[in-house]
Amino acid sequence: MLDPYLPLVFMFALAGAFALFSVTAAPYIGPRRYNRAKLDAYECGIEPSPQPVVGGGRMPVAYYLTAMLFILFDIEMVFLYPFAVSADRLGLFGLVEIALFVATVGFAYAYVWRRGGLDWN
Amino acid sequence: MGVTTFLAQADELRAPAVDYGAVAPVLIVLGAACASVLFEAFLSKSQRWIGQVVLALITLVASGTALAIYAGDAPEQGTLTLSGALAVDRPVLFLWATLLLLSFGSILLIADRSVEPGGAFVAEAGVRPGTVQDRAQAAKSGMQTEVFPLTLFALGGMMVFVAANDLLTMFIALEVLSLPLYLMCGLARRRRLLSQEAAVKYFLLGAFASAFFLYGVALLYGYAGSVKLADIAAAAAGTNRSDTLLFAGFGLLVVGLLFKASVGPFHAWTPDVYQGAPTPVTAFMAACTKVAAFGGILRVLGIAFEATEWEWRGVLWGVAIASMLIGAVLGLTQTDVKRMIAYSSVAHAGFLLVGSIALTPEGLSGTLFYLLAYGFTTLAAFGVVSLVRDADGEATHLSQWAGLAKRSPVVAGVFTFLLLALAGIPLTSGFIGKFVVFSAAVQDGMAPLVVVALVASAVAAFFYLRVIVLMYFSEPAPDGPTVSVPGAFTTVAITLGAVITLVLGLWPAFVLDWAGAGAFIS
Amino acid sequence: MSWTLIALLLLPLVGSVVVAVLRRSDAAAKTAALAFALGELVLAGVTWVAYDPASTDRLQLTSSVEWIPNFGVHLSFGVDGIALVMIALIALLVPVVIGGSWADKLPEGRTAGGFFSLLLVMQTGMVGVFAATDVFLFYVFFEAVLVPMYFLIGRFGGPRRQYAAMKFFLYSLLGGLIMLASVIGLYVTSAETLGKGTFDWATLVEAMRTADTTTQIWLFLGFFIAFAIKAPLVPLHTWLPDAGAEAPVGAGVLLVGVLDKIGTFGFLRYCLPLFPAASKELAPLVLVLAVIGILYGSLLAVGQTDMKRFVAYTSIAHFGFIALGIFAFTTQASTGAVLYMVNHGISTGMLFLVVGMVMSRGGSRLIQDYGGMAKLTPVLGGLFFVAGLSSLALPGTNSFISEFLVLIGSFPTRPVHTVLATLGMVLAALYVLWLYQRVFQGPLRGTALVGVAGGPGAATAPEVGAAREVKDLGKREIAVLAPLVALILVLGVYPKPVLDVITPSVGATLSEVGVTDPVTAQEGK
Repeated sequence: MLDPYLPLVFMFALAGAFALFSVTAAPYIGPRRYNRAKLDAYECGIEPSPQPVVGGGRMPVAYYLTAMLFILFDIEMVFLYPFAVSADRLGLFGLVEIALFVATVGFAYAYVWRRGGLDWN
Repeated sequence: MGVTTFLAQADELRAPAVDYGAVAPVLIVLGAACASVLFEAFLSKSQRWIGQVVLALITLVASGTALAIYAGDAPEQGTLTLSGALAVDRPVLFLWATLLLLSFGSILLIADRSVEPGGAFVAEAGVRPGTVQDRAQAAKSGMQTEVFPLTLFALGGMMVFVAANDLLTMFIALEVLSLPLYLMCGLARRRRLLSQEAAVKYFLLGAFASAFFLYGVALLYGYAGSVKLADIAAAAAGTNRSDTLLFAGFGLLVVGLLFKASVGPFHAWTPDVYQGAPTPVTAFMAACTKVAAFGGILRVLGIAFEATEWEWRGVLWGVAIASMLIGAVLGLTQTDVKRMIAYSSVAHAGFLLVGSIALTPEGLSGTLFYLLAYGFTTLAAFGVVSLVRDADGEATHLSQWAGLAKRSPVVAGVFTFLLLALAGIPLTSGFIGKFVVFSAAVQDGMAPLVVVALVASAVAAFFYLRVIVLMYFSEPAPDGPTVSVPGAFTTVAITLGAVITLVLGLWPAFVLDWAGAGAFIS
Repeated sequence: MSWTLIALLLLPLVGSVVVAVLRRSDAAAKTAALAFALGELVLAGVTWVAYDPASTDRLQLTSSVEWIPNFGVHLSFGVDGIALVMIALIALLVPVVIGGSWADKLPEGRTAGGFFSLLLVMQTGMVGVFAATDVFLFYVFFEAVLVPMYFLIGRFGGPRRQYAAMKFFLYSLLGGLIMLASVIGLYVTSAETLGKGTFDWATLVEAMRTADTTTQIWLFLGFFIAFAIKAPLVPLHTWLPDAGAEAPVGAGVLLVGVLDKIGTFGFLRYCLPLFPAASKELAPLVLVLAVIGILYGSLLAVGQTDMKRFVAYTSIAHFGFIALGIFAFTTQASTGAVLYMVNHGISTGMLFLVVGMVMSRGGSRLIQDYGGMAKLTPVLGGLFFVAGLSSLALPGTNSFISEFLVLIGSFPTRPVHTVLATLGMVLAALYVLWLYQRVFQGPLRGTALVGVAGGPGAATAPEVGAAREVKDLGKREIAVLAPLVALILVLGVYPKPVLDVITPSVGATLSEVGVTDPVTAQEGK
């Protein structure tokens, strides 16, 4: 039984057992000290601002719009990095391609900007 | 593989050859879509509508001209371009022409502002139905002109989709065509709740279908080591690799495609979305999405899975039968004219699938012809639906159509003709379409399937006839809907659809010649 | 290239457009419709003269233009003797029907122009069905003719017209679609045999000669079901009583007089020559259906309470005779069957018209609402009686010859069927004479003729028990019926002109099936 995969099986079993043990044991043996920060929806970071007073603590809808726009444009930047590190090898064709890419993102940006997507109110 | 190896490979990067003549129609459409976004950004509110309409129509004409110029001296066998990502061959040129023509009609319907004052679209899709803002917005005549760039993007996606020669390009194109459609569904000015429900439903189910498709692509990559259709075909033809991956991948991929084509039993979204979406958008979806989806199905089946035809054919027989029967039988019980046409489209998807699984030149040309014929008939039919209105907007409940022939004989006459075409009565394009598809199927040894299809046609004829009975033989209700006098745009769109339906019924030879001009290249 | 048939096709179509344009003025529309129908009759006369029965050509007056080259579809027209007599019958009946419907009360909001326009469209369709020599084209006409008939019943018919129109259309469409499967199958089979598919009838007859029996049987069944629904043979007949009863009289005459003959014509032109082996194989089945049709139709006709349904059931019986004659496979029987098709068109057409005239006077379709009507309308009674006698095939009337030919022709090959069919003749005498007796003989009675207080006729009846004012036939109505009476009598004693045209074509059809005539074979010995 010198199966090379046997250790792997042990590894999985061990990992599973540890996870199970931690989850079941924690409520019994861990200390339970709650404070305000711990009860927040997001334990890290600052308090949502402005502080929601009424309406069950809901976020203004503009927050999601801005966040979404940020993520969209942020993700596009991912493509710029690989281009930047190999720009010399990609030559003119690469430059044209990335310019086109930036242009299309730019169109979307222009639209968002002109139609008030960036205004808070 | 380290970063250095990667960069070393990058040294060998060559710019792929681009056959600009071949891809010009797509480039024009996608470029115009970007320009259309800029129009939205920089034109003033009063200029937007006219600017967008002119841009969209010019784009379609320019793209069509580019297509015609290229088709004039295109290589007979077709050509591969963009490193083999796109295949431009005779069937693709036919599908592109079909898509451009159908989009032209759809854009006209979308642009019409006379039938529904201010157009069929809201100005702010985000306003919640039933609120004060919603009522205020319904009273205003503003219109969301974003529907034009969305339509152009969807069209661009469709054109790439039918030409995609590998599964990843196809997937990207699928998303490009789907995402705008999800949005467009939710823009209806009237019955906002239904419209938003349609958009959400279409989006959720569409996302699932995309996931199926992508999972299928992954498994097929695992099987063939490539996403290119030709490589998958080669792998399937001559290896002893695990068939499990191949068929699991095939199954998932096809589910994604059949969903888009609204083939039963993957049709569940169709009636809700067709009903809820603004009618011009429904027309666009029913006509163009069907063409694009079946273009993709034809290509995938015809190239990648030709060698394994005998393994999967039984399954698709079953799907086709299910689709025809679901469409025909459930169509009988509908009381809303848009839902009825939706179920009819499910039945028609079954007929189209019959042609698509006959992997013969006749099957290909027959299906292409059917797509063109069906697209125009359904486009014009939805155009007519948008005309019949009462105080609450479109009167889509069938009982409201009673006695329509008495009030407006021309509209009733045109709709009757279109319904007869959908039923496949001779002297309409619908009959020729059925004939070419079914004869291809019989030639390929699928006679039992054809008999089922014909019985389903007979069942489906019942609900078309019911509408004719209502329009002609029933007395109109005293407070029934009126028929709007269509503006020039809607008139042109309906006339285009009806005339093509008639011409293809009387003189189909030239279109059949184009449809049968060549085979797929891979 | 002969233009006669094309002219025959186009004239009514042009007429329908003209009539539709003139529909605002009833008088103009009616006059135009009659003029076009009479023009068509003259053209049909020209065609009859141009046809040469002695020629050995299977089809004459042919013309052909390429239509859809991708499938070898042609716009081909041509006639043999059988198609010619049917086209002549159409050309004769349409003006008669237009005259007969001249003063019909139409449902509210419908115009005479619309009615006659649809009639003329239907005439084009019917001529096309009989004149087409391309199977695809035949199918196109076969289906296209449904549409005007559907609107004729649905827009101008009786109280249950929606139901009847729908039933008519769906039955026919289902049959048509099943036939479409066979049409496609035929095309594919021809492509396998000849290398290139064709729809040309004559070429297909040659190509199918070598096809194996199993293929033939499947393809035969597709055509047969469509034609059996059209004809109609029991058990596919249930649409006819409804459609016949609800159709306006004019459309009803064309429905049972001509449209149903497409079925029997289809047997002769398509089922037999294209699928000879299958025809022989399945003939026993068809014959049983035919005999059932004769007896069932006759018995139900006896029991009808509604005069229009009565006519429909007598037709079912008569179609049984025609089918018997066709599938008995002897020259005499088949010739008799074709003659029967013509005679039935004349006699049942007339019966339908006189029933319509009775109804337009009494305002009811029910037999029980009438009685002793001959006292009020002696001429109508007399002509009703003539139509009835022709329908029961009294010697001296046209139907006698055809029925007699069918029976003596069938007896040598199918004695049992023939004997059973003869019972149908006895029943025919019963149902016709009994109907005549109830409606026209005896003392004056019935709510339609004698007003009853509070009854349906009360509004117009001056007092209880008094006879309502019922006029006898006017000049127009007599003029409409006169040509039919003349034909009944002339063809009853001198059918030779028609037989001369029919016989060579029937002979050719039977030789395509490859059967030898038992009678002539005996004579040859």
